[in-house]
Amino acid sequence: MNPLMQRLRPGGFAWLVVHELRLATRNRRRRARSLWIGLILLALFVGIGIMTAIALRHVPIEGGPAFYTGMLAASALLTSFMTTQALLRSQHTLYESGDLDLLLSAPLEPRTILRAKLCGIAAGVVINFALLVLPFAIPIAILGHPGLFGIPALLAALSLASACLGLAIMIFVVALAGPRAARTLGQIIGALLGGAVFLLSQLMSGGGGGGGRRSAAMSLFNWLMAHRIGAGGISALPGRAALGDPLAAALLLGGAILLFAATGYAFGRSFLASYQKARMRLSRGRTAKGAITGHFRAGLFAAMFAKEWRLLVRDPALAFQIVLRLIYLAPIALAAFGRGGGPPLLPALAFASVLIAGQLVGSFAWLAVSGEDAPDLLNVAPIARRQVERAKLASAMAMAAPFGLVLPVAIALSSPLGALATVAMTAAGGATAGLIEIKWQKPAPRKTFRQRRSGSIVAGLLTVLSSAFFGGLAALATWMLG
Amino acid sequence: MTETALRISGLSKRFDKPVITGLDLDVAAGELYALLGPNGAGKTTTLRMVTGLTRPDAGSIHIFGIDALADPLAAKAVTAWLPDEPMLYDKLSPSEYLGFVAGLWRIPPAEAAPEAERLLKWLELWESRDTRCETFSRGMKQKVALAGALIHRPRLLILDEPLTGLDAAMARAVKDALREAVNAGATVVVTTHILEVAERLADRIGIIGNGTLLAEGTLEELRAKAGSDEMTLEDAFIALTRAPQ
Repeated sequence: MNPLMQRLRPGGFAWLVVHELRLATRNRRRRARSLWIGLILLALFVGIGIMTAIALRHVPIEGGPAFYTGMLAASALLTSFMTTQALLRSQHTLYESGDLDLLLSAPLEPRTILRAKLCGIAAGVVINFALLVLPFAIPIAILGHPGLFGIPALLAALSLASACLGLAIMIFVVALAGPRAARTLGQIIGALLGGAVFLLSQLMSGGGGGGGRRSAAMSLFNWLMAHRIGAGGISALPGRAALGDPLAAALLLGGAILLFAATGYAFGRSFLASYQKARMRLSRGRTAKGAITGHFRAGLFAAMFAKEWRLLVRDPALAFQIVLRLIYLAPIALAAFGRGGGPPLLPALAFASVLIAGQLVGSFAWLAVSGEDAPDLLNVAPIARRQVERAKLASAMAMAAPFGLVLPVAIALSSPLGALATVAMTAAGGATAGLIEIKWQKPAPRKTFRQRRSGSIVAGLLTVLSSAFFGGLAALATWMLG
Repeated sequence: MTETALRISGLSKRFDKPVITGLDLDVAAGELYALLGPNGAGKTTTLRMVTGLTRPDAGSIHIFGIDALADPLAAKAVTAWLPDEPMLYDKLSPSEYLGFVAGLWRIPPAEAAPEAERLLKWLELWESRDTRCETFSRGMKQKVALAGALIHRPRLLILDEPLTGLDAAMARAVKDALREAVNAGATVVVTTHILEVAERLADRIGIIGNGTLLAEGTLEELRAKAGSDEMTLEDAFIALTRAPQ
């Protein structure tokens, strides 16, 4: 047992929290090679952080309306991402975690378990952002700007609040939509939350030119500045806390802890009910009707496509991926159709088209090729492996095709030849991405879709490179033809 | 002269240690053959080599005269494999699953659809034909997988522990299905640790141990080899597997 756990009262809140943290760290353990790559990247980050800190040693970092507004915008962006992660982790807790049966069958208060789980979710959420922010913030704080020690407090407050928000949304969705729909809805809401600030920033800059050309945080910052939000009062608290104002930090942390206590109190019972609902059989028992001839198709491709299509549309993780991509595609498409005000940047659109299609085909191909639930069934069937792979690749491309055609249609309004070139390169980029998945396939359960890139770094890197290559060709062709 | 459905000669496979060492086995067409053996005897490895899922180190496998190592696709076309963990897609319904399996074996829809309907009704899955398999019990999943194995009318049906985890009614349904398949002309090779099943169901029984065939024959022949006509199959099995090689 963990030495810390030995000192704590078994079954108590603190004991459960340490257990959750232990699970969170063990879930993150990767293979030795990935661990080394992670450590090298962290060391690099810390190195850059130290150099930045030395460079800023004598530069005063002071609060002011612009800084406070900037911190508010950054906090909003972080909260959006953190809530997405918290929502997905809450979904994992309710649907995929194997330990709730054990915990809830023990003589423990569901509320205590919920609070410990919330701490685990918050810890899991904060660690990614802490790894990105603290290697810079801590060296700068040590080397002359001690006020920045407020940033860890700000991160802790945001992650705790996001964990509460994520879990509350998930419990609400389960109660409202039922256990089956909640899985898919949770993923879609997660995607919408993840892209919320991005979308919001596009709306805010919608009147100006080129919606897709500004960063989300910058657009939000400009909007906040224009409306004088974040410069003072409560909205300046994140900025003040980040600069080490003890009162602001205490207010934010205290607020997050209050929210945590309120969530534990409010959802103590509904958490158990949501878990019980989530553990119910997830599929509706559909009323059997009519003949079954519609399910039988002539030819390997037709059978494979029907199977892959059904599995893909019934996969909540995929719904998340597609919605997220569509969210990022929407502003680009809006700009492409000229709604941003300025002239559409055809080569950039051609490049984006190939990149998005490559990512989609790669994702579909991973699900179809590596995420095969019954590989032995295909192995015992009287068909060559190559035929199966071809059918799977064709299925993946056919499913990505509607998304891959959005931007070429927009390009066709200004340059039909450029659109044709983009379609050709999009198809080539997509096919290459699919072939890379086939070549470097690593059989894995479909539920590990989100972590697939950590399983095959080479495939991920090659997909990006090939998409960039074909995207570059498409951009060049569109520029020359358009 | 009776046709040979499955002929295994000098089959060997080694993982960390030898698992199968020079196994010879003949199964006649139209018989139900039960392969028994202690845990780790190599039963599943043998069947996986027959179905083409594991490559043998040495030896040959012929299925209805087709060299399964030289022409695996032709051998697979007449064979069905049903492992103890059903090869299913949780997100597909039984109808959709059977449609997919029929596509893999390239059975024309006009033939496959009526056969699927017959199988689903026979295995009492018709009412659940449009429900996704993720909600099914283990027994129902096993029946869906069995329907998938039978939809392309295999001449050789190979099953690895098909009754594991099934309740009495489900086990009876699967046993009836196997006997029905044999009556319809198929050959069935089945591994089981439930000796009563082998005793009641099998035409011939093979006992495998230490990577080779220790004994083979009808129940009476096995009793005779074990040294007593009064023995149960369990007694004979223990006597034969514990006997010095």
